[in-house]
Amino acid sequence: MSDRVYEILFIADPNLGEPEVDALTAQVQGYVEKEGGRIQKVEKWGKKRLAYVVRKHREGTYVLLVVEGAASIVREVERRMRVTDGVIRHLTVRVDEDLRRAETHRRKRAAQEEKKRARGSAKPARAAVEEEVSE
Amino acid sequence: MSTTGMGGGGRFGGGGGGRGAGGGRPPAGGRGGAKDGGGKRYFFRRRKVCKFCVDKIDYVDYKDVKLLGPFVPERGKVLPRRMFGTCAEHQRKLTLAIKRARHIALLPYASE
Repeated sequence: MSDRVYEILFIADPNLGEPEVDALTAQVQGYVEKEGGRIQKVEKWGKKRLAYVVRKHREGTYVLLVVEGAASIVREVERRMRVTDGVIRHLTVRVDEDLRRAETHRRKRAAQEEKKRARGSAKPARAAVEEEVSE
Repeated sequence: MSTTGMGGGGRFGGGGGGRGAGGGRPPAGGRGGAKDGGGKRYFFRRRKVCKFCVDKIDYVDYKDVKLLGPFVPERGKVLPRRMFGTCAEHQRKLTLAIKRARHIALLPYASE
């Protein structure tokens, strides 16, 4: 229960080749696993243009990790990423609460629509009954 | 079309309409012809509706540049609510998403 879900998005140096980026990703995954976190998803976005210059780079290779684990892993993983060559920018965001909230909203809305539809179909039926009675 | 007196009245009314537009829920119509008045762009202003509410987006994702893009014009600023009619809740989520996207260089802080 205490486990949380984090998205770790980092930008790798654009001068690194594909295998090197893979190695770097594996390295970051290693940081997470060493702290007791579980990797849920790894997404490679490939090389993208940056909106502004980061460490003298105009481009970067984006890699997204979705990670599950205790809160304590974030500090250590971030610290390690900061000192890892090849990672030029990183961002960690906790997503479990927001996604859960979004899910609740969606369910509530679906339920409401269901109710509305049920009411909508019930009305004509009642009208038909009334008609019968009046005749 | 209008006498001097009418024009003055129109301007006054237009000013009121302008304030209404600032609140995001202007009354339909409005004069808009007056120089200092509200309706600078529209004669008949459409009621603005929050895009996120219409599209039923509960989680504003910072990774979705296509979604955030229209809210960040060239200069790189976050568009105020009054421009798009975003509701308070979604504007809050939107600004947070934009700030995250900026940090990770998906969106600019300022144009170069």
